[in-house]
Amino acid sequence: MGTYALRRVIQMIPLLLVISLLIFALTALQPGDPVDQLVFGNSNITPDDIARLKAAYGLDQPWFTRYFFWLKQAITGNFGYSQDFGIPALEFVFQSRLPNTLLLTVPALIISTLIAVPLGIFSAVRQYSPLDYILTFFAFLAVSAPVFWVGALALYFFAIYLPQITGGALSLPPGGLGGDVPPEAGWWAVFADKLKYLLLPLMILMLREIAVTLRFMRANMLETLTQDYVRTARAKGLADRRVLYKHALRNAVTPIVTLLGLSIPGLFGGAVITETVFSWPGMGKAILDALVSKDFNVVMVCLMMLAILTVVFQLLTDLAYAVIDPRIRYS
Amino acid sequence: MKKTLALTAFLLGAALAGPANNSLVVGTSQEPPNIYDPWNTNNLAITSEINGYMGAGLTYQDDDGTTKADIATRVPTLGNGDYKVVKDSKGDVIRNSVTYTIRKDAKWSDGTPIKVADFQFWLKLENDDRVPVPDRDPWDRAKITVNDADTFTITFEPPYLFADQVSPGLAPSHIMSAAWNAFDAKTKNEKDAKVTNEEWKKFISSFTTARNLPKVVAGPFKPTAWRTGNSLTMTRNAAYWNQPKNPENYVQTVTYRFIPNTNTLKVNILSGQLDAVSAVGLTFDQGVDLSRNERNKYKTYFVPGAVWEHIDINARGQRAKDLDLDDPRMRQALLYAIDRDALTKALFQGKQAVSNSWIGPVSKLYKKDVNDYNLNVARARQLFAALGWTPGSDGVLQKAGKKLTLNFSTTAGNSTRERVQQILQAQWKAVGVQVNIQNYPASVIFGPDFLSKGESGKWDMAMYAWSNNPVFEEGNLWKSEGIPTAANGYSGQNNPGWKNTEYDKLYNQAKVEFNQADRIKLFDRMQAIWNTEVPALPLYFRVNVYTKVPGLVNYTFSAITQYPSWNAANIGWASKGAVEEYKQK
Repeated sequence: MGTYALRRVIQMIPLLLVISLLIFALTALQPGDPVDQLVFGNSNITPDDIARLKAAYGLDQPWFTRYFFWLKQAITGNFGYSQDFGIPALEFVFQSRLPNTLLLTVPALIISTLIAVPLGIFSAVRQYSPLDYILTFFAFLAVSAPVFWVGALALYFFAIYLPQITGGALSLPPGGLGGDVPPEAGWWAVFADKLKYLLLPLMILMLREIAVTLRFMRANMLETLTQDYVRTARAKGLADRRVLYKHALRNAVTPIVTLLGLSIPGLFGGAVITETVFSWPGMGKAILDALVSKDFNVVMVCLMMLAILTVVFQLLTDLAYAVIDPRIRYS
Repeated sequence: MKKTLALTAFLLGAALAGPANNSLVVGTSQEPPNIYDPWNTNNLAITSEINGYMGAGLTYQDDDGTTKADIATRVPTLGNGDYKVVKDSKGDVIRNSVTYTIRKDAKWSDGTPIKVADFQFWLKLENDDRVPVPDRDPWDRAKITVNDADTFTITFEPPYLFADQVSPGLAPSHIMSAAWNAFDAKTKNEKDAKVTNEEWKKFISSFTTARNLPKVVAGPFKPTAWRTGNSLTMTRNAAYWNQPKNPENYVQTVTYRFIPNTNTLKVNILSGQLDAVSAVGLTFDQGVDLSRNERNKYKTYFVPGAVWEHIDINARGQRAKDLDLDDPRMRQALLYAIDRDALTKALFQGKQAVSNSWIGPVSKLYKKDVNDYNLNVARARQLFAALGWTPGSDGVLQKAGKKLTLNFSTTAGNSTRERVQQILQAQWKAVGVQVNIQNYPASVIFGPDFLSKGESGKWDMAMYAWSNNPVFEEGNLWKSEGIPTAANGYSGQNNPGWKNTEYDKLYNQAKVEFNQADRIKLFDRMQAIWNTEVPALPLYFRVNVYTKVPGLVNYTFSAITQYPSWNAANIGWASKGAVEEYKQK
């Protein structure tokens, strides 16, 4: 398996180079650049000014020349400065945006998986029971309702309606990241403040995650329960609980590894809509803003990071399969 | 019990600001790229607004456009001899100059006196090729002469029309000089501009970013914390000289909250989390919506602005000729055929006034008595007929086998403009003009291949906005040398391609007319010509929407000051003893 893993890692290098070239080309070939945006806000700007700025930002060069300049720098760990924030792009992404996204998405993934997996099993085992109908209905509703709409409703309820009916005693903040409490107030006060701001976006993000995983788990479990080996185990007279948890569950859970493996790079990419609705400054919003304002270096850092994570987690998922399922071997 | 208390603590809607702790929380939809960059290498509106809290100039203008002294002891005028205009033997102005004396008590926030060297340092960098300032007008023709320790003269040669109304920048030379010298040594012989730019970013970012907050400032507030993506806090600068009487009665801390989603910003206002909203924040529709739900918790203001919405008519190229768009009568007919009064009433409750000139009513140059082009379908039909356009069997006007079909473009996704388009399309249809809507992203419309390449017939009508400080109006949008062409590298802003010899002559005269009364006369005629030929269809001047809670005083702005931060030192709570000096108009 070691040789297999090494071969896959080596194959990643040309793949990532091609991806970086594609991302750079697609970003650079968009119409307009940061200087064009300056020109249209300023009637005093002269052709000399435009030429001077384009040269300074390297925008007077063809896109492939700029790509090789970027690649040469990137190999040495220099990903350039963020045009918008005036700090190194790598620092902007890893210090300002990524921690916020992880703070939101990692708990959302863990908690929703812990809730959805048992619910999915329960729903499958008690197929067509009233609770199965309720859970199925909830899952369809949560998957179908647009996040921006559910988010707006939640904002209205917790930030406007609830304080009105409780005379301001109960409410949740309408978006943002918190940080109103100074560190001197103690870790609990700082944590409670952060949690207050985290709660709404976390709830909205979890709602959808729970629904998706629940549906997935239910379907897997139902399929597993109809397998021959489950019938055989039951025919042998094994107790239902043992059949379910010892034989069926292990196989039904295996595909969840794929689901989680592919979800993790997405986590780093952030939840664009949730972050936008709740003004949560995470990665998704950063990618969107950088694309709009042509902050090329930030775009490259964000998208390359996602590409690397995707290929790495695909490899880890494949390797995890071999560990979980004894039938799979990569020798 | 403890757990219950903790739960209640984080569920409690915290009243975060307001008179209780004499602070101010402002919501905005943008985050500045950096702050207090003395050379404004990023010129976003939010940057200018926030810089207003931390910056100071030799002089400044108030909401009414009156120039007042700040760092300088007095405003230079012809009367007091600090403003001088030098003419040659023919009577032409060849240079002008302004003399300033720095106040003895003008200090940086670390207590270091502000000196002439700070202005000289700023000017040196402003004109250095390695510094990516967007434009250097008028500082590329300015020279500083030191008269004594606190007095200096700025001479503009060729002369600058608004020399007595602009204040040069200043940068803390005692803080920045060493780093600049290191940058200078490192990049002196550097051939690769991109490498120089990286070095420049390293230099400037060590004084202007969240990681490296400005070390010193000159204005009434200094930055104390900036959490990117979240908020920026500034506290009152005790070293600032232009304090109101009893400064402790005025706001001590200002926090800007960055809430990029304007709907979330709206919820923040409704839930009482914000004391005020920035000039960069709400949309007009949100303002209207908020004004219906005030319940005495906040008040919504619609401030007349200097952002002019209009429709450029493309008069360039063969297609424009075929459609008679290069003929003023066609443009007049198109304007007579639409009901702009009804449009602004329907969409903007009449709060955004119809315009008939590119110059707004707030400017001293504004000409009132121009043709107002009220809806006049009969006149429109008459003009179409005079040009040979007659209704076809399908009701669409046609001439020599061609239909009067116009492509109408604007920035896709701007819902206000898209609604305006729908209304205008229907109004033009009523007189036989078929209008096809073809919208593009802003990056395409304002990109290098669209508006400026009018001669290739890429668009017939384009709706967008221009923003200009009314004090510095030069009329240069319409000069014929500003028509973007291959010969001038597609520079210039005269996208319709309008050319008028008399306008050009008047513009060139006005450019060197230093007498305000005479300039007004020249602009009267320029506006009369423009209004007759209507190279662009004037729509309306946008208003700026914001809210503030009752009791917050001196948080005002106008089309001239643009941002409430112009008067930052005097913003305060009436309940804390702040005296109201300016009311929002």
